[in-house]
Amino acid sequence: MKKYTFNEITYYQFVFLIMGTQIGAGFLALPRVLAERAGTDGWMGVVIGWLLSVAASIFLVKTAEKYPNKTVTDILTHLFGRVPGKLATFIYMLYNIWFTWIILINAMLYIKGWFLPNTPDYLIMFLFSIPTFLIVRNGLRIIGRYSELVFYLTIWVPVLFLVLLKDGSFLHLFPLFKVEWSKMAASGLPAIYSFLGFELAFFFYPFLQKKEHAVRGIVIANTLTMLFYLVVTLACFIFISPDEITGYNQPVLNLLKVIEFRFFERVDMIILNILLLIASTTWIPYFYCGVYCSSQLMNKADHHSHVPIFLGLFIAGTLIIHPTWEEFETWQHWMANAGIVFAYLFPAFLWMYSWGYEKYKRRKAL
Amino acid sequence: MRRKIFLCLSLMSLVISGCFDQTAIEDISAALVLGMDLDDQGDLLVYMSSPVFNKEAETKEEVYQVKAVSLRNSRNSFDERVMGLSSGSKTQIFLIGKRLLKMKNWDKYLDPFYRDPKNTVTSRVVAVDGAVKDIIFDKPVDKPRLPLYLTKLIDTAAQRNLIRRTTLQEFRGQMVDKGRTPWIIELAKGKRIELKGSTLLTKQGQYQLSITQYETELLRILEGKREGDYSLTLPVSSKAAHDKKTYASFSIPVLKVKKRVRYKGRFVFDINVKLKFGLGEQVIPLGVEINSKELEKNIQNQLEKDLNQLIHKLQKNKVDPLGLGLYARAYTYPEWKKNQDHWVDSLAASKINIHVDAKIKSMGTMR
Repeated sequence: MKKYTFNEITYYQFVFLIMGTQIGAGFLALPRVLAERAGTDGWMGVVIGWLLSVAASIFLVKTAEKYPNKTVTDILTHLFGRVPGKLATFIYMLYNIWFTWIILINAMLYIKGWFLPNTPDYLIMFLFSIPTFLIVRNGLRIIGRYSELVFYLTIWVPVLFLVLLKDGSFLHLFPLFKVEWSKMAASGLPAIYSFLGFELAFFFYPFLQKKEHAVRGIVIANTLTMLFYLVVTLACFIFISPDEITGYNQPVLNLLKVIEFRFFERVDMIILNILLLIASTTWIPYFYCGVYCSSQLMNKADHHSHVPIFLGLFIAGTLIIHPTWEEFETWQHWMANAGIVFAYLFPAFLWMYSWGYEKYKRRKAL
Repeated sequence: MRRKIFLCLSLMSLVISGCFDQTAIEDISAALVLGMDLDDQGDLLVYMSSPVFNKEAETKEEVYQVKAVSLRNSRNSFDERVMGLSSGSKTQIFLIGKRLLKMKNWDKYLDPFYRDPKNTVTSRVVAVDGAVKDIIFDKPVDKPRLPLYLTKLIDTAAQRNLIRRTTLQEFRGQMVDKGRTPWIIELAKGKRIELKGSTLLTKQGQYQLSITQYETELLRILEGKREGDYSLTLPVSSKAAHDKKTYASFSIPVLKVKKRVRYKGRFVFDINVKLKFGLGEQVIPLGVEINSKELEKNIQNQLEKDLNQLIHKLQKNKVDPLGLGLYARAYTYPEWKKNQDHWVDSLAASKINIHVDAKIKSMGTMR
């Protein structure tokens, strides 16, 4: 039975959906986080993170391949029965909704911190929720189109970083391998967090038209993300002195602040707006998967009535809590740990379990 | 109906969301030039010059001096005096007086420019040989308003490599990086305002040494950046011309600088300067001819001599504006690790070999 035919996504949409989900606002701080752990060797952490995320992605797709027309919630119900399946769906929903909330808060804090300090946070949140509402209430195909469009619209951003290279010094990067392996591995950890997002492929897979290309697609998505992080990180390391970089919260923005053209200054302000596009391709897929889970819980085929409810909760939450950077960082810390479980451990576990399960079932059938 | 409500709500929020952070341009007093100095008692003085856009005002510029404990603190005092809200978002020039430069760690005052994202970090850092008030209150009648004049003066001089244009952001890098010391523009007022080459500071930001415009050009050559023009005038001696006052002026269209470092009990630097020059002027008596081989040799030796002198001067004064420490870190990391916290001392003890290779590229339209 092909339950998801009406909302199929193309191969490209699959790639850009995953890549868009991976690259959020977090990349602005990434060079600092890497440099804190491994100095200017930190960029190697990106490569380590990429290797691990590719390995985990392949596991994930291989698991999904066994049940080509089931999303993760269907698989869980199939494997564990109705009640545990529901419970797992509920946990997945919490995870996705919580992730959406965090990304929205993050984007809101950036906008407030860098150029709208006096605008109330709930108003910014409300502004975010208008396009989110318009896009998420439609199906995955529309979201896929959106992600693809944003990719084409923002493809020039990495080029901007190359403008700065002439003023920087490659000497900052040398010598390579100056820190111990343990430190280098430690820099892999924040990089792993920034590759989170591919775990949603569990949800996207059944919608994919050409499933035979799924592995290739997810590897390409991870690689594009890796290249983007690498360009950004290296540009920061080359331009900003290694002794200086850990002093900036978001070195990427400090870097962009320096770019000046004859006809306009303050490129960082433009990029912060573009950033909203980039961040929105992260929170929109998470949000979609969140409402997908919640509608599955309610046994509803249509998810779109849940969208405004959750958005309302987000705005109300902002209004009541008024999140700060510190709170955000604690939440993000929890989230990162949960992400490791959902993206790296769980697919591997599921792969093994399903392998055992099918074997057991077949033996029983014989 | 629901659609209409939704549309209205979105439209409303789009419109009103701009209201909270609005600042009208006519309410801003943009500090195009900011200055910091110390008075006789050692208290901080802050100066600001901002343009006045008003038909009724006779002078189109307002300049103030206030006493304050910090830059952000001075903003209040300015707001008590200037028309609008003073803002550092368009600051072009940052003047620092000689007295302040003699203080240790004066750069801590620059913090609001790095911390507040509304402020710019591309303003040019300028050391004033003398008091800031002599410059900032000056009103040359044959020039446009001072901020415009100074900005143009600096940018065009930087095109000729007479100075090095150091921005606030670069300055922070120069201060924080262990492998280099700051190198900023020097400005002075004799009868009129003039650029005077560069000021070199220590790691603590203290004034250490002034170098002339010619030395700045040499330092730019050693830096190896090929931006803008070089124009050097050097004495040339020739057997044919007994007159000692023979000179050649030239530009450097091709420049390649290679720096190498090794460690042999101390750091040893090899700096190879390979350049091709284009002759722009030859001041020699009529009838005398200097052949091109001789000219090349002359210029090569002279440059090598001057560069060596300059490097010794830097070593003696324990400054590293070139960032030779970056090379030491990149290529001799274990030794750098041991020396990084007292790098300038290690640099003073190191050996620096300079080798110049000069070739003629063009002689101009005369033989």
